[in-house]
Amino acid sequence: MAKFSLGSEPVVGSLTPSKKREYRVTNRLQEGKRPLYAVVFNFIDSRYFNVFATVGGNRVTVYQCLEGGVIAVLQSYIDEDKEESFYTVSWACNTDGTPFAVAGGINGIIRVIDAGTEKIHKSFVGHGDSINEIRTQPLKPSLVVSASKDESVRLWNVQTGICILIFAGAGGHRNEVLSVDFHPSDIYRIASCGMDNTVKIWSMKEFWTYVEKSFTWTDLPSKFPTKYVQFPVFIASVHSNYVDCNRWLGDFILSKSVDNEIVLWEPKMKEQSPGEGTVDILQKYPVPECDIWFIKFSCDFHYNAAAIGNREGKIYVWELQSSPPVLIARLSHTQSKSPIRQTAMSFEGSTILSCCEDGTIWRWDAMATS
Amino acid sequence: MASKASPSASASGSKSGEDLTMMGSQGTSPNLKEISSVIEFLKKQVASQRGVSIQKRMEENKQKLVGVTNYMYNLSMARRSTWINDTGKNVDLLIRRQKDAFDMHNGIDVNNGDKDTLDEDGHASTAVLLGSNVAVKNAVRPIKLTEVKRLPPYTTWIFLDRNQRMTEDQSVVGRRRIYYDQNGGEALICSDSEEEAMEDEEEKRDFVESEDYVLCMTIKEVGFSDTVLETLAQCFSRSPCEVKARYEILNKEEKAVGDCKNGDNEDASQIGSSFLDKDLDAALDSFDNLFCRRCLVFDCRLHGCSQDLVFPAEKQPSWSPPDDENISCGLHCYRSVLKSERTVGVSSPSNGDFEEKNVTSCEGVQISLRKKPSGPSARKTVKSCQSESASSNAKNISESSDSENGHTQDDSHIHHPSPSKTKLAGKCGIRKRNSKRVAERVLACMQKRQKKMVASDSDSIVNGGVPSDTKLRSNSCKENEDSSSSSHKNVKSPIGGRSRRKESTVKDSHIQVEVPDGSSNEMITDPPATSSDDNIRKEEFVDENLCKQESGDDKSWKTIEKGLFEKGIEIFGRNSCLIARNLLSGLKTCWEVFQYMNHSQFKMSCQPGDASNSLMEGYSKVDFNGSMGNNEARRRSRFLRRKGRVRRLKYTWKSAAYHSIRKRITERKDQPCRQYNPCNCQTACGKQCACLLNGTCCEKYCGCPKSCKNRFRGCHCAKSQCRSRQCPCFAADRECDPDVCRNCWVSCGDGTLGVPNQRGDNYECRNMKLLLKQQQRVLLGRSDISGWGAFLKNNVGKHEYLGEYTGELISHREADKRGKIYDRENSSFLFNLNDQFVLDAYRKGDKLKFANHSPDPNCYAKVIMVAGDHRVGIFAKERISAGEELFYDYRYEPDRAPAWARKPEASGSKKEDGGPSSGRAKKLA
Repeated sequence: MAKFSLGSEPVVGSLTPSKKREYRVTNRLQEGKRPLYAVVFNFIDSRYFNVFATVGGNRVTVYQCLEGGVIAVLQSYIDEDKEESFYTVSWACNTDGTPFAVAGGINGIIRVIDAGTEKIHKSFVGHGDSINEIRTQPLKPSLVVSASKDESVRLWNVQTGICILIFAGAGGHRNEVLSVDFHPSDIYRIASCGMDNTVKIWSMKEFWTYVEKSFTWTDLPSKFPTKYVQFPVFIASVHSNYVDCNRWLGDFILSKSVDNEIVLWEPKMKEQSPGEGTVDILQKYPVPECDIWFIKFSCDFHYNAAAIGNREGKIYVWELQSSPPVLIARLSHTQSKSPIRQTAMSFEGSTILSCCEDGTIWRWDAMATS
Repeated sequence: MASKASPSASASGSKSGEDLTMMGSQGTSPNLKEISSVIEFLKKQVASQRGVSIQKRMEENKQKLVGVTNYMYNLSMARRSTWINDTGKNVDLLIRRQKDAFDMHNGIDVNNGDKDTLDEDGHASTAVLLGSNVAVKNAVRPIKLTEVKRLPPYTTWIFLDRNQRMTEDQSVVGRRRIYYDQNGGEALICSDSEEEAMEDEEEKRDFVESEDYVLCMTIKEVGFSDTVLETLAQCFSRSPCEVKARYEILNKEEKAVGDCKNGDNEDASQIGSSFLDKDLDAALDSFDNLFCRRCLVFDCRLHGCSQDLVFPAEKQPSWSPPDDENISCGLHCYRSVLKSERTVGVSSPSNGDFEEKNVTSCEGVQISLRKKPSGPSARKTVKSCQSESASSNAKNISESSDSENGHTQDDSHIHHPSPSKTKLAGKCGIRKRNSKRVAERVLACMQKRQKKMVASDSDSIVNGGVPSDTKLRSNSCKENEDSSSSSHKNVKSPIGGRSRRKESTVKDSHIQVEVPDGSSNEMITDPPATSSDDNIRKEEFVDENLCKQESGDDKSWKTIEKGLFEKGIEIFGRNSCLIARNLLSGLKTCWEVFQYMNHSQFKMSCQPGDASNSLMEGYSKVDFNGSMGNNEARRRSRFLRRKGRVRRLKYTWKSAAYHSIRKRITERKDQPCRQYNPCNCQTACGKQCACLLNGTCCEKYCGCPKSCKNRFRGCHCAKSQCRSRQCPCFAADRECDPDVCRNCWVSCGDGTLGVPNQRGDNYECRNMKLLLKQQQRVLLGRSDISGWGAFLKNNVGKHEYLGEYTGELISHREADKRGKIYDRENSSFLFNLNDQFVLDAYRKGDKLKFANHSPDPNCYAKVIMVAGDHRVGIFAKERISAGEELFYDYRYEPDRAPAWARKPEASGSKKEDGGPSSGRAKKLA
């Protein structure tokens, strides 16, 4: 990591837990033998705030969190192709509100599952290699974006099944794209990061007509004039190794590499010359023993806290928006030793789920504070 | 620390600063301890300020985000309410499952989840409560997702229809790349020592604001000394001289702040000035940097920006337009001005005297225009002859003479109050233009390009006029300034113009006069009254122009105008009409150009030395028609051409160039071709010629004269269609070039615009397929062998050109680095192009990159020189029928071939099941 010059040092959070909240394991499930790579709550529709989905192997499973630590299985889907290994899942929905679980993995096929009818809605073939992350546009939840090993990021309309934009080409990623995220308020903006150690910010403002067109497209999806977005508006070299997760925090970006920390930074773009700019690293949230790649963090609905697992099966819960950062809690259990690939925080952050390499799901609930 | 408020910090800072300054002034120089304590203090101050600023920004961001998430929450709530409104519809299954689970949890459901109960909808209730170690897999009945066949893997790529040179930021050299083993799981860093060294090299960091602050404050408080600098340098982890240099810069900046305010205004005023204030070279600078003279495009991706400019040693003979002798180019054509002057009879100008008179001739013009009535008859006769000779439109001629007659009548009887005498001058010019239209159509292309410029220029002139009739003004103005736009318009709307003319012949004489003017102005709907009004205005304008002209001597010419004028002389010879129209339209009139031309000529002739020579030349050229100068130029060019041809014939088969090429053909298999770079030789290429040293032929892009012995002279094929080795181009692995080969020509478009003169007897060259992109439709599909494959849409014959293998042009060094990466993935799209470049189609290319390798292929690849560039063409080795998959032999260097390409018996799969290959695999032609 580059040395910080005077007056631009980030604020680093202290690893002493503040004990603001205490969490306790309330449930543990063994889903199967194969590693689980993703777990995610449904934040799209308030009816399903307690519903979450996990993926692992060729399986997508939908659960519900009930009171008293109880988890109920609601639906389970299995890809007939045993070779499939899902890496990511995201909740989306139709314009009429039908809930979709959108999953992707090693086969590079995006599966849009209609959870309302328990049938496959659509399968998107197009990515040239495995899909590492799918995210949903919260303001228009029928738009999803996928990050792939084929070095591209693609924007899809799950309702009509159209690949609207491909973010790749002359200014694109130079290795697998591992993570992607929609800006919370700027609907045109996404950030992606990957194995070329960069974070790239893209704008689809000039291509927005195509996004709108995708909603009314009635012809075959393959006939849609898919466009290439070749140049990002900003390229940041914040990390010196794989960047495997990035999330917007307002106008700032949280990203992590394999350096045992999450970094919060502000992209400062030069208006005149797109693609250029500087990075101001504001804060750091240390996460010990988090030095393997493909470990993703998650935030609660209001971005108050983030939870991240590590190689040793421990979870760190950070208060995101305070300065200096406060470690809310450090969760550990003697039996949780397997690397945690992803966590999910419930709407309020009172429940934290973790999915592990050994195929287990852990549920942690915040203890009522007196 | 962070909570400490910044004002108090700075206040205390300044207080202690005062103390320290006092201490500093007492001793000669403060000791190390003091310095470091000051620095420490400042550092703390900066750090606390930083903390506060981050806190502030975080808070701002938080406030913003709260609004956003609340909005999103409302959205998610809204989705619930739409559902409540839609309860009439089928309840979605997720809700049902939720409810089931909830009920079960509360012990309402009797069946307690152990059995699969079928409900009314026929959907199994899958809700299972889990609180134990039961594997989920066994607890629920899964819903199957039907298998969808995955695509063969590929990396997202961009289509290229022509090769591109790699941009610097795409280089992998010196960049660390981390690999991970598909099987092993985790990453390993792969970089050799050389790359490591490059990374350690510290890039120069800019000083940040806070560093400047600490630097200034420290020196302010403890003074400037070496120890201070050293401690500061240590603190910033930089070198002391860096710090010193920065301090000096800051000092200067501080001083500059005071002056800055005055300077601002000047800057602002300077921004307003356009390229007109620059000289021609400066104005052309961006053009020279951005325009590719080989591809004739801006921002060429193949040859790049800021290429070395190659100027041809042979100046092209000045261009001369066909059939325009004696025809004036517009109102301000020097011919019409001179003619009118002659008719005035102020003096009887002969070829000789006129030049001396030029300087004062403005006066003459003015007079001649005023004394119109005596003019028209003489002029008329002259002009009607002109139109007869130049125009094919007989009607036009008669009409023009008619209207001219009518107008003279008008003038003599003075029926109309509005038209004054000077009006005729304007009319005259326009009239001539009409008859000249045919000749001008030839120039359509050039005019088109200029049209925009004319329009904008006329606009700027109009600004000075009355705003209400801007449009009319601009029309007339355009007329006056440049005839090209009007004739262009005529071409655009020929029907409107003609029908109007027919109509108008019935009307009275005055209107007849107006009509041609109107039609060329496109004022079709204008009533005659307005057009006469317009005419008055135009007169005024003409007058204005003439006044301007009077002062039009050497001094009023801007540098850029002078520059353009000189270029014009180079291009068109001493033809003021063409120079004014094509290069100085809107800036100078033909007459002004003519004056300037003679003026500068006169000045030159006054100078000693070559005076007599240039004087002679000047005299010979300054005749009234300018035809002699043109004739001379044309004669010379013809002479040159003949000379060139003779030589060409002589050297065709024996030139040294062919020899070296032949050698390369025979050695082609072992030696890569040489990259061509144009040489800048100004004489016939000798031993120092860059091309000769490099072992390439000189091409049409070289600076050297055409007679250069190292030039490739193209072919003279008559029958073979350039498809066999008998064609020297074909034999040298080159495509024929219409600029170079004698019988290989290209027609434009679909032939509706005419076909160029055919040379040879209907000969059609078949060796220009890459140049003309005459390729076959290639389809991309799942290969029968492995991964992707390229397929043919239509049947083709043997040796048919199928398409080009395009990609990024990268250096061999770059290719070595990339090759290592690609070999790891066992998928390489590198193609050896020549001694300098390798084509990489990994991220940019075309469908042919997916054609698989086969030791028994149906296609072959060939590196071909096309207009100075090496390109890779894929050709059919045999007859291939529609839908067949394309294969060619990658011809990997034997020791570097991957396992699947090494053994000829194992017809290879390209991507999978290849063992780890050593070195780098590259395709060879």
